[in-house]
Amino acid sequence: MNGSEIFGAWVAVFLTLGIFSYLYKDNPFYKIAEHIFVGVSAGYWMSMFFWTQIQPNLFGRLWPVPEGAISGFFMRIWYGIYDIFGFVLPRVFPDGGIDKGHGSDPHFLYLLPFILGIMMLLSVVSKWSWMARLGIAYTVGMAAGLRAYAFLNSNVLGQLKGSAVSFVNIPWFSLTDASIFNNIIILIGTITGLLYFYFSKEHTGHFGKVTRVGIYFLMISFGASFGFAVMGRISLLIGRFTDLISYGGENYNYASLWVLLVMIVLLTVWTIKGDKDTAS
Amino acid sequence: MEKFLDFIVRAGSLDRRYIFVVIAFVVIMPLFYPLGLPIRPTVSSKTIYDTVEQLEAGNKALVSFEYGPSTKPEIHPMAVALLRHLFEKDVKVYVTCLWPDGQFMAMEALAQVAENQYHKEYGVDYVLLGFRPGNEAVIKGLVSNFRKVYTVDARGNFLDDIPMMDGINQVGDFDYLFSASAGYPGTVEWVQYAADPTGVTMGTGTTSIQVNEVMPYVQSGQIKGILGGMPGAAEYEKLIGQPGIGTSGMDAQSVAHIVIVGFIIFGNISFFVERRRAKKY
Repeated sequence: MNGSEIFGAWVAVFLTLGIFSYLYKDNPFYKIAEHIFVGVSAGYWMSMFFWTQIQPNLFGRLWPVPEGAISGFFMRIWYGIYDIFGFVLPRVFPDGGIDKGHGSDPHFLYLLPFILGIMMLLSVVSKWSWMARLGIAYTVGMAAGLRAYAFLNSNVLGQLKGSAVSFVNIPWFSLTDASIFNNIIILIGTITGLLYFYFSKEHTGHFGKVTRVGIYFLMISFGASFGFAVMGRISLLIGRFTDLISYGGENYNYASLWVLLVMIVLLTVWTIKGDKDTAS
Repeated sequence: MEKFLDFIVRAGSLDRRYIFVVIAFVVIMPLFYPLGLPIRPTVSSKTIYDTVEQLEAGNKALVSFEYGPSTKPEIHPMAVALLRHLFEKDVKVYVTCLWPDGQFMAMEALAQVAENQYHKEYGVDYVLLGFRPGNEAVIKGLVSNFRKVYTVDARGNFLDDIPMMDGINQVGDFDYLFSASAGYPGTVEWVQYAADPTGVTMGTGTTSIQVNEVMPYVQSGQIKGILGGMPGAAEYEKLIGQPGIGTSGMDAQSVAHIVIVGFIIFGNISFFVERRRAKKY
């Protein structure tokens, strides 16, 4: 076990117990862990986005390594701009262009997302913040167009096909596979569940009774969701405890035990001090 | 009787921090002293196993990692188990990531399974293509032109220089697709933009909380099988005969569930007793 691994384990233990300490009450350990989490996440995401997309796929397409010497007035200016960038940020804009497999000719079409991206950043400048709307409008429009077909195909047509259940050549009852009994439940659940969301008619009389069945189906669905949510949270808790147990071993200099002990002592002092301050 | 009802009402308003302590205790104890409770694979887990079993050596599987450290205990064990099964069958594995932290999860899983356990060769038996931002736009791009989205892999190698990338130009070139997903973008987007339009057989492993959302796609046959949370991972580990982290956590999971169900029943009894008393007086 090397030093960095042990240090990492101590940090992991501190952050885990810091977050858990919120279950007692809001306290400085929780706040430290929370702020570190938010800051590291933001930094990590930004770094990943830049080095996996903006640098290779945007700059790599705008300034690929040219084949042979740069010729032509416009291209000289274009790569002159690149050289200026390269002088400021040599790691991002290495000498001669960016070779990420996008050929040797610049893809000028990618200037459009580049400009839209800069416009979105301008939202921090109040005078030019209107420009951000163009970038956002493009993103929203693109996403809406992209999703329209996919939703229609998978969520409407696919689910309609899935709801067309069979009542022939299957057993009457099965706990696990398709059966006539199960399919009747699917049919009743689908129809009554959909009718519950039909608000053009008052939910009274026979119609009200049918929609009430729909509510029962919805409640069962919510109950299942709640059960799965509990299961998921317990799984995550098991994951953290498993790590804490392994970090509590001799290999990690009993990190879990020491951090837990110090945290309990400091939280006790902090609580007593807080109580005294409140009393005074 | 009245004293007993008093106790129930008072216990019903117990400080919730005691409940946290009890849950912590019942989760920790089985981790130290395993009970060895039986694990029975469900139909949906068995479906994934059977689908992978039908793959032949040399077939191509696209595995996408869409989870991070926050959901690692649920998804990672099933990703590891699935990779074991795929490598056991000599299937070629292509790994993509729609989440930035998914790349590190994939690196860890591949190091554990491909390198240390099965001694597979990078670029020949498996490749980590890495993360690309863009959510469903990335999937859409992979469906139409794989090489427009990925020109280099996560290690910076050009795709043209990777032997196992020969003949891979779109998602339709794969024999199997698996999404290890903890949310958006993930399973639903792979169904909508890849599996449904191309017809490639798809399986998924999701967090427990996502199961209800994804299950309609499984019922309709748009997804062939689902591994739901840690139990799904444990079931898959049982099916491939290689117990792992999922199996070891199931005792704690089961005991915690029993205690939580007990709390819910007790809380309801307390609620109804209190309500009856309120009506009475």
